[in-house]
Amino acid sequence: MTTASASVSWRRYFWWNTDHKVIGVQYIVTSFLFFILGGALAMLVRSELATPATDLLDGSTFNQVMTNHGTLMIFLWILPVLAGFGNYLIPLMIGARDMAFPRLNALSYWIIPPAGLLMIASFFAGGAEAGWTAYVPLSIGGPPGQTLWALSVMLLGISGIFGAINFLTTVIMMRAPGLTFWRLPLFVWGMIATSLLILTATPVLTSGLIMVALDRVVGTHFFTVTSGGDPVLWQNLFWFYSHPAVYIMILPAMGIISEIFPVFARKPIFGYRMIAMSSMAIAVLGLTVWAHHMFTSGMDPRLRVPYMVSSMVIAVPTGIKIFSWLATIWYGKLRFTTSMLFALGFISMFLIGGLTGIFLAAIPVDLHVHDTYFVVAHLHFVLFGGSVSAVYAGLYYWFPKITGRMLDEKIGRTHFALNFIGTNLAYLPMFIAGLMGMPRRVAAYDPSFTSYNQWATLGALILAFSTMPFLYNTIVSWARGPKAAANPWQAQTLEWRTSSPPPLENFSEIPIVTGGPYDYGEPSAPAAEPAAAPAAG
Amino acid sequence: MQGRATQAEKGRPGYGVIFLGLVFLTAIELGISGVRILPPLSTVLYLLFSGMKVALVAAFYMHLREDNRLYTAVFVLPVLLLLVFALLTIAI
Amino acid sequence: MSQHAMQHVEDFRAGHALGLDHRKLGMWMFIASEVMFFGGLIAAYLHYKYRLGFPEAAELNVVLVGINTMVLLTSSYTVVSALAAIRQGRQGRFIAWLLLTILLGVAFLGGQIYEFADLVRQGVTLTSGVFGSSFFTLTGFHGLHVAGGVLWAIVTLVRGLRGTLNAEHSMAVEIFGLYWHFVDIVWIVLFTQIYLIV
Repeated sequence: MTTASASVSWRRYFWWNTDHKVIGVQYIVTSFLFFILGGALAMLVRSELATPATDLLDGSTFNQVMTNHGTLMIFLWILPVLAGFGNYLIPLMIGARDMAFPRLNALSYWIIPPAGLLMIASFFAGGAEAGWTAYVPLSIGGPPGQTLWALSVMLLGISGIFGAINFLTTVIMMRAPGLTFWRLPLFVWGMIATSLLILTATPVLTSGLIMVALDRVVGTHFFTVTSGGDPVLWQNLFWFYSHPAVYIMILPAMGIISEIFPVFARKPIFGYRMIAMSSMAIAVLGLTVWAHHMFTSGMDPRLRVPYMVSSMVIAVPTGIKIFSWLATIWYGKLRFTTSMLFALGFISMFLIGGLTGIFLAAIPVDLHVHDTYFVVAHLHFVLFGGSVSAVYAGLYYWFPKITGRMLDEKIGRTHFALNFIGTNLAYLPMFIAGLMGMPRRVAAYDPSFTSYNQWATLGALILAFSTMPFLYNTIVSWARGPKAAANPWQAQTLEWRTSSPPPLENFSEIPIVTGGPYDYGEPSAPAAEPAAAPAAG
Repeated sequence: MQGRATQAEKGRPGYGVIFLGLVFLTAIELGISGVRILPPLSTVLYLLFSGMKVALVAAFYMHLREDNRLYTAVFVLPVLLLLVFALLTIAI
Repeated sequence: MSQHAMQHVEDFRAGHALGLDHRKLGMWMFIASEVMFFGGLIAAYLHYKYRLGFPEAAELNVVLVGINTMVLLTSSYTVVSALAAIRQGRQGRFIAWLLLTILLGVAFLGGQIYEFADLVRQGVTLTSGVFGSSFFTLTGFHGLHVAGGVLWAIVTLVRGLRGTLNAEHSMAVEIFGLYWHFVDIVWIVLFTQIYLIV
C-alpha cells in the first residue's frame, strides 16, 4: 500500500487539491495567518487604549482597526479554522476516504484567500469603520472600503455554505459499516449541529449584505431613513445570522473538548447522548434568539421577554455539557498534556463567558451594559478563552496525526501558562470597566477607567508573546520533531487507527465499527494499539 | 429506490393532472383578484391556494412524496424557520 | 487509487442503505440555503409592505404577471416530463420537453423584462424608493435564478444531445429539475405576496 504521505510535497498545499487532508491543513494555516493579523490589530487597539486620550490613532483610524480586528477574527480566523478541523477530521473519524464532494471542498477553501485579500484591500481603500456589525445608516455612508468589506464577507459566507453542504452530506452518506449515529464522535455531532446553522443562517446575512451593497453602490433605499428605510431591519437580518454564528464558533470547539477529556482522563465520556443532543438543542434554540442583541433598538418591549427567556434556556444544554465534562474527568486517570491543560482552561474561561452571557440575556442588565466593555469581556471569554483554547487543545492533540511529528510538551506548557494568564488579565478588568460604564468601540475614554485598561493592555501583551513559543514549537517540530506513532495518545476514534500522517486513501481497509468511540475499560473497547495500523518510523 | 417504480418511471399522466390543478388554482386566484374579494378573506384564500400549489410542486414534481423523508425535512424546516423570521422581522 | 477519481459507489453505502443519493441530498441542502436567501429578501419586502405601505403596488399588472406565472408553472410540467422521458429511455421526447422548458423559461424572462420596463416608464425604479428597491431586488434575484436555470437547461440539453445523459445516467436531469421546480416555487410565493395580497 502506498505510503506516499510520508514524502508529500509541500507544494501540494499551495495548489488546487481535492484531498480533504490537504484542504484541512490549508484552512488551518491560512486562518492562523489571519489570527496573527487580527492579533496585530488587537495590539494596536490595546496600545491606543493604554491611555485615556487618542494619542496613537485618530478616531477614524481606530474605528477601522477595531472593525477589521473583529471582522478578521470572526470571518477569517475562528470560522475557517474550525472548518479546517472539520475538513481534516470528519472523513477520518467516520472511516471514509474523503468528503462527499471533494471538488466543492477545494472550491470552498480557495474562495478564502481572495476574500481575505479583498478584506485587506478594503482597509487600504478607506477601511470599513462601522464595527463588525456594520449598522446602518453608518455603514451606508462610510468609506469606500465598506463595500469591499461587504463583498468579502459575502464570499466567505458562500464558502461556509458549500462547506456545510459537504459536511452534512458526508456524515449522512459515508459512515463506515457499524458506525451508527449514536457511535459518532462528539466532534462530528458538533459539526453536524454547526453545519445546520451555517446552512440556514448564513444566507440571510448574505441577503442583508446585498441590500447594504446596493444602497451604497446603486443608490437603492433599503436603509435610507429619509425614504422610509428602517435601520432595525438591518439589525434583524444581521443578527439572525450573527447570533447563530456564535454557536457556529463554539459548537465545534466544544466537540474538540469532548474528544480530549475521555482520552486524557482515560474514562468513557459521561452522558454521550446528552452531549450529542445538547449540541442539536443549542443549534435549534440558537436560531430563535437573535433579537437579544436588539433590546435597546426600540423594538416592541413586549417582544423582548420571550427572547430573554429563550436566550437563558440555552444555558441548560450548555450546562449539561459542562457537567458532563466534569463528570468525565472526575476520578479519571488524568494526563496533563498541553492538550488537556488547554481543555481544562477552556472549562474555567468558557464558564465565565457563558455565565456573563446569562447576565446579558436579562433585559434590565442588558439595558445597563449594552455596548459597554462588559460585552467585550463576555465575548472574549467565550471566543478567546473558549474557542481559541479549544483550537489550541485540538492543535496539540491532532498535530501528531496531521504531521507525523510530536510537539514539544515543555514549550507547550509554557504557551498554555502565558495564554491562561494573559487571557484572564486582558479580559477580567473589562467586566468591571463595563459595569462602571465604559462604552465599547471608543478610542478615548474617561480617565476613571485607566487602570482597568492598563491591566488589559498588559494582558494583551502577554497574549501576543504567548503565540511565539507556539509558533516556534509548531515550525521546529513539523520540520524535525520526534516521529509520531499511529496512536500516541491511545485514543479510540477512527483517525487513530491509521498511520500518522494517514495515507492518501486514509485507510488501507475501511474499519468496521463495533462499539462507541470512548469505551475505555468497556468489554467492547478495541485494543489500545490497533493491530492493523502501522507505527510510523 | 430501485425496486419501486417511481412516478417518473410510470409516466406522465400523473404529472398532467397535477399541472391542471396548478392552472386551476392560479385561475381561481386571478378570479378572486378580478372580482375584488376583499381582505382578510382574500388573503386567507391566497395563502391557502398558493400553499397548495407549493405543496403540489414539491410533493409530486420534486418527488418528495415518494422519496426519503429526510429530503422533505431538509426543505420544510427552513421554510418554517423562514416563516418565523419573516413574521418577527415585520413585528420588530 | 487516485483521489481525483469519481467516488466509488461503496463509499456511500451508509446513505444508500437509507435510500439516499448524495447528489440529491446535496441539492436539497443547497435549496434549503436558497430558501433562507430568498427569505431575507422576502422579509425585507414584507417588513416595508406592512409597516410603510406600498401605494406603488397599485401600478402592478396582476393579469400580465398572472399569465407569466402560468408560463412558469407550465415549465415545471415540461421539465418533469423531460425527466420521465429520459428515465423511460425516450431520448427524443426528453430533448423536446427540455427545449420547451427552455422556451418557457425565456418567455417568462421576457414577460418580466416587459413588466419591469412598464414600471420604469411609470416612474417606479430600483432607486425610486423603498418599494422600488425591495421589489426590483427581490424579483430581480428571482429572475437571475431563472436565467441561471435556463443556462443550466441548455447545458443539460447539450449533454442529452451528446448522449452523456440517458436512462441509466439521468440523475443530472433530476438534480436540474429540483432546482427548476424550486425557482418555480419561489415565484408562486412571490406572486402571492407581491401581486395578489394587497
